[in-house]
Amino acid sequence: MRRRASAGFLLWLAVTAPAGADGDVPRQGEYLFRAAGCAGCHTDTDNQGAPLAGGRALHTPFGVFYTSNITPDPDTGIGRWSENDFVRALREGISPRGEHYYPAFPYTSYTQLSDADLHAMWTWLRGLKPVRQVNKPHALPWYLRWRATLNVWKWMFFDPGPYQPQADKPPAWNRGAYLANAVTHCAECHTPRNLLGGLKRSRWLAGNRDGVDDAKIPNITPDRKTGIGRWSESDIAAYLETGMTPDGDFAGDAMAEVIDNSTSHLSADDRRAIAIYIKSLPAVEQAIRKEKKKKSEQDEFL
Amino acid sequence: MIISPLRSLLATGSLLAMLVPLSLHAAEPEDIIKYRQNVMKAVGGHTSAAGAIVQGKVEYKSDLLEHARSLQALTRNIPALFQKDSDFGDTKARDEVWSKRADFEKRANDTKAKVEVFAKAVQSSNQQTIAASFKDVGESCKACHKDFRKEDK
Repeated sequence: MRRRASAGFLLWLAVTAPAGADGDVPRQGEYLFRAAGCAGCHTDTDNQGAPLAGGRALHTPFGVFYTSNITPDPDTGIGRWSENDFVRALREGISPRGEHYYPAFPYTSYTQLSDADLHAMWTWLRGLKPVRQVNKPHALPWYLRWRATLNVWKWMFFDPGPYQPQADKPPAWNRGAYLANAVTHCAECHTPRNLLGGLKRSRWLAGNRDGVDDAKIPNITPDRKTGIGRWSESDIAAYLETGMTPDGDFAGDAMAEVIDNSTSHLSADDRRAIAIYIKSLPAVEQAIRKEKKKKSEQDEFL
Repeated sequence: MIISPLRSLLATGSLLAMLVPLSLHAAEPEDIIKYRQNVMKAVGGHTSAAGAIVQGKVEYKSDLLEHARSLQALTRNIPALFQKDSDFGDTKARDEVWSKRADFEKRANDTKAKVEVFAKAVQSSNQQTIAASFKDVGESCKACHKDFRKEDK
């Protein structure tokens, strides 16, 4: 049973979050931390793992990645990191030892976080209780084990640097673009990838047939036929709050997790801002559902 | 005319064969899956309609009880929709629906209970209780989909 621990996790957040000792910074950090969905991957909910102590397996077309311990434990977590290390990890995808991270860790999105927001997240993270749990090595094919090749990958697909607001767009749109792309990192799942795992920028948020754990990730561009063009701004905002679609269906699987752990905790204004941004995207026609499988076809492979 | 008894036997046989689907033959898994999806769509339809009334988007307050009662009827026995052997093909149901049956039934019963509370609230016509109990119904739907339904197949 996946994700069972999310309610417990929220409780745990409420208990262990520093009570705003130096003003609003940790609180802002906690807000961002939730919005960015860090706990979703860095907690092994399937096996009742301790919050943020890592160990969750991410099954991708490139192999199995095990997430890392990001509690402040000095030996197994990030207790010995400096704030600089943290900023470099999220903005450049480089570990304190100078190694490149695999982009399963979405630094390709987090790179766009502002200095102030990174500082707030770091401040909040430092105040958490350390958990001792040794990281598991990733299970990858041999040709991906050599991290130096990531240098090339980054050169091809990674644009480091904080989000630059677009002057010709209203503040709410810029806030929405920042939240969707830097914080909640929608594109990491909703944008299709090329053979090398780089995001296809021309199909931004147009859905992905090869999502993590074999999921089919829907097209959320405003295309009326294959995307969510029929959804209003309020529909999108309501969905991010409650999980209900305009049809009265409810989110499940990974998106229910995102809503429970991240978007339902955003302010109404922030949810609205994301909706404004999503509605403004270029509509891309791309159907995600596969052809229906017939029973007989399946039986042939049994 | 030697053939005639055989012919009548054949005729009886095909008559029987025609009757079988109505009685003895087990339902096709595909049909169970389609039926289940249609019932779920009906649940979604009533939920969406009820939501529009609860949130004050439309003024069909006098219809709200109808939607609530329909939801009650449709959610009375959700596990029955997920029969054995209807776990493959064009379904988003996770294997856990069958392999963790007790957990699944707990979730389904929670939805049934939340819908009952909602229906009672509608009869009380207290706006706040209605809104709160409707929200609980949605939470229950999402909680079950989270653990037991796959992202699109």
